Amino acid sequence: MPKLHLRRFAPAAALVVALLVLAACGGEYPNSTFSKHTELNEGAVFIWDRMMLLGTIVFVIVEALLIYTIWKFRRREGGPAPRQIHGNAALEITWTAIPALILVFIAVPTVRTIFENQRKAPAEALQVEVIGHQWWWEFRYPQYGITTANELYLPIGKTVNFSLRTKDVLHSFWIPQLGGKRDLISNKVNHIWFTPNAAMEPSALNGACVEYCGTSHANMRFRTFTVTPAEFEQWAAHQKTVAIGSPAAIAAAAAADSAAKAAAKSPVVKTASLVPTAAPALHAAPSSAPEVWVFPAEKIGPHAWPSTPLPAVAFDESVLAAGDAKAGRELLTNPANLGKAPCLTCHVIKGETNYATDDNARGPNLTHFGSRHTFGAGLFRADAKALALWIKNAPAMKPGSQMPSFGAGEYNPLIKAPVPAAAGLDDKQIADIVAYLRSLK
Amino acid sequence: MATSAAIPTNAHAASSEQTGLWSWLTTVDHKRIGILYLYTALFYFLVGGLEAVLIRTQLAKPNLSVVSADFYNQLFTMHGTTMVFLVVMPLSAAFFNYLIPLQIGARDVAFPRLNAFSYWVYALGGLFITLPIFWGLAPDGGWFGYAPLSGPTYGGGFNMDFWVLGLQILGISSLAAAFNFITTIINMRAPGMTLMRMPMFTWMSFVVQFLVILAFPVITAALFFLQFDRFFGTHFFEVAAGGDPLLWQHLFWVFGHPEVYILILPAFGLVSEVLPTHSRKPLFGYNVMAYSGIMIGFLGFGVWAHHMFSVGMGPVADSIFSVATMLIGIPTGVKIFNWIATMYGGSLRFPVAMKFAIGLIAMFTIGGISGVMHSSPPSDLQQTDTYFIVAHFHYVLFGGAIMGIFAGIYHYFPKITGRFMSEKLGEWHFWLNFIGLNLTFFPMHYSGMLGMPRRIYTYDAGQGWDLFNLMSTSGTYLLLVSGLIFAYNFFSSRKNGAPAGNDPWGAPTLEWSIPSPPPEYNFAQIPEVTSRYPMWDLKAPDRTAGIAHSHADAGVIAEAHAVPVHEETERRTAKELGIPIPFPTIKPLLVALGIVVLFSGLIVLHAGNFPLAMATMLGGGAFMVGSLYAWLTSPLE
Repeated sequence: MPKLHLRRFAPAAALVVALLVLAACGGEYPNSTFSKHTELNEGAVFIWDRMMLLGTIVFVIVEALLIYTIWKFRRREGGPAPRQIHGNAALEITWTAIPALILVFIAVPTVRTIFENQRKAPAEALQVEVIGHQWWWEFRYPQYGITTANELYLPIGKTVNFSLRTKDVLHSFWIPQLGGKRDLISNKVNHIWFTPNAAMEPSALNGACVEYCGTSHANMRFRTFTVTPAEFEQWAAHQKTVAIGSPAAIAAAAAADSAAKAAAKSPVVKTASLVPTAAPALHAAPSSAPEVWVFPAEKIGPHAWPSTPLPAVAFDESVLAAGDAKAGRELLTNPANLGKAPCLTCHVIKGETNYATDDNARGPNLTHFGSRHTFGAGLFRADAKALALWIKNAPAMKPGSQMPSFGAGEYNPLIKAPVPAAAGLDDKQIADIVAYLRSLK
Repeated sequence: MATSAAIPTNAHAASSEQTGLWSWLTTVDHKRIGILYLYTALFYFLVGGLEAVLIRTQLAKPNLSVVSADFYNQLFTMHGTTMVFLVVMPLSAAFFNYLIPLQIGARDVAFPRLNAFSYWVYALGGLFITLPIFWGLAPDGGWFGYAPLSGPTYGGGFNMDFWVLGLQILGISSLAAAFNFITTIINMRAPGMTLMRMPMFTWMSFVVQFLVILAFPVITAALFFLQFDRFFGTHFFEVAAGGDPLLWQHLFWVFGHPEVYILILPAFGLVSEVLPTHSRKPLFGYNVMAYSGIMIGFLGFGVWAHHMFSVGMGPVADSIFSVATMLIGIPTGVKIFNWIATMYGGSLRFPVAMKFAIGLIAMFTIGGISGVMHSSPPSDLQQTDTYFIVAHFHYVLFGGAIMGIFAGIYHYFPKITGRFMSEKLGEWHFWLNFIGLNLTFFPMHYSGMLGMPRRIYTYDAGQGWDLFNLMSTSGTYLLLVSGLIFAYNFFSSRKNGAPAGNDPWGAPTLEWSIPSPPPEYNFAQIPEVTSRYPMWDLKAPDRTAGIAHSHADAGVIAEAHAVPVHEETERRTAKELGIPIPFPTIKPLLVALGIVVLFSGLIVLHAGNFPLAMATMLGGGAFMVGSLYAWLTSPLE
């Protein structure tokens, strides 16, 4: 009976095993924890390899013994009565002692690595503050005076010391390729530090919240761009500045857009030419404005471009191309429009008249929003259409979103009613705001 | 069953032998309560299983929207809560109830009415926590209910109310049952049955009851704090007012880790009964098996913070909890080796029960090895809160606890019903279950180590997780099919199964000396036990020749009312035998109902209706106290 069934299911089982083995060998695993990009991961992989080896040995011995026993001692007609053995002290001591010995080989490197990983971070480390919010990430670089969100830039070869805290519930900070996770605890500041390996290629990596934090826990993701130290300095120098409509920023944006269009790989650019060619200088630019540098879009692998489906929210796409950044800015910044577009009561745009500060802002800092590749905590490409839909009806794109719907007639779960036509934004106004936001390079 | 033709004059005693709804509502017979636990837990198994099917359907491919984010969060919270508190614990309780008195040669548990009370609190508390899902109000803060998400500020809806209150209700059930079984095991063993002669299932159950009475007060205190935060404005876990969310984590896991052993040790006990029986060979290293169970239980209280390596406890605490966790691997490993040694040299036959028992050894080993892997914090920090952990504990709880319980069900079904389950359908159940479980959970090791977090209702394409998730989802459907085969087999075999005698398997312990199903009084005459394997002494004395017996001359009986172990074939009524049987009573059910109504009042309070809330709580409280008074003032038998 058992033989028959084993035979019946063997092909299926073999297929499964074959699939798993194949999967382990080939395939792209952009979030693999086995990449040794930092000292944290080197330590983890070292211990993993040892445990995997010892574990496999134990597994093979136990299962082989089990299968041998089942086979060898199956009942046979007229077989001898079994010898009645009630125990064997020597044997039992042996199989108590051997596992204990195996564990010593795991415990010793474990304790050593624990103390290594939790030393005090070197004083010269780059400081990054990570602040968790339901459901997005705030990143601050206190040494540079930068506040940004959902996209983290790290210089290769330099130790980064993260201070982690949260504005609301618990979250957990994790970039699988760069090391283990650390929780964000509501009433304390947590720390973790690591050094992206000098040998590593500049790359776009995924990060995620891994402590369940409510409705959109699954949608609390972020991007990490590891860049060369020179690129990092360039990026940081620009991020420090005020973005609003500096000619340099606008020129760079236009160039980036047309370059991306030429590449024609990304549907982002197809939607619209976002920055009017003759964009007016909204502010007089400081003559020494640093050049915009962002992680080049063409170096971002498919794993880091989100493919979250867009909701079935209607939007007149023809108006997107005609979005007017200046009109958009007027909507956001003129106090008369505060009822319709209260953006700056929750978001901060450095240089504008803000109603919120970095410390009490409920939404991400948008100072250099136009220089980000994604938004919504890594959920969407920062393309014009997705942005327009987001402003129109964010809760439809991200369940539980604390940003309400602003599009006239859209259902707003926060007030459990549609937004009245008079109080909401029409598609043209949204297109203008999108154009303005995209100009914030 | 005794025919109602022989109507005894004692109507109360007779009614427990009758059928009909009322007899089930009022029964205090440990066997019938065990059956109630079994049926109820199997019902909740279906509920929890369907929740899993929905979860896995949503995750079959990236970016699906089979269910909404909020509903998914309710599903995974309730899947965990259901499987832990409403399925595995009560399935174990079904066996505690049914088997412990039979295995130790007793006529019932120490407190039969308290036993009925435990069951009704469980059944009603289970409904309290399960039904809200039909209104989209099911708990949604995870089975671990981490503060502050479970508190009033961030979890202000009704959802977590049902969780906080429901778990307290269920805790009452577990605690009452645990005290009952401890008292039963200590006081009601048949003459000659020393602790070191108890069947291994009773041993493991004994250890589990101590874990329950030590661990449940901790979660009760934590739930009480959370309840006060939610309903009465205290600040135990409210950060803005100086509360500490980590206090919740510590309290939860001081309970939560021993809970793991509460779930697995009964299955270990069942397997320790099944393996020797079908190997025709005694359990290898009985003493070590008992001591390792105690050791696992003891160490289980000193490792809770390995669930918290990512909170940043500092290197000293991390190291201590890491090494303590590794130590648990040792007694667990000893059990695995001793089971194999039990089979080694035996004469093995492979009915479905034996297959499931062997399945436990094979699968639990995988869960045990991955368990050691996350005892090491540097490595665990890459594993915790990913699907690797989901893989680990499903190998332990599905591959371990559930396989062990299935082994127990197939093994004891003939004792409980007098009929065999179909071996043919059982084979299908076992193999589909075995393949389904590996297809579902093995790929999760991969998705986890390749970066997939737990508790996410959706994931993006291009992350390298698609294949593994699709495999897991396919496996879940196989498990559903195997579960339906089991259900059909279970229900059809009650009536159509081949008849089984007293001792269909040739097992060594006392429960097999009495008719199947056992009469209400269990043992017409209390047997005097002279060794660990009384039934083998009787039927295969060569197997027990090597162990100590209390009497060189087996004819000499020390206890006045005891008789030598023998097979009872005659089925009579308790009245005819002059055995006092506790009266059936509805009162434990009424007290349980009062408790649930009392707790429900807090939900009404949250809804803002103060007068109705007070009326509900006072009414429920008065009903509970009144029923309790009536219970305590009515005679037992």
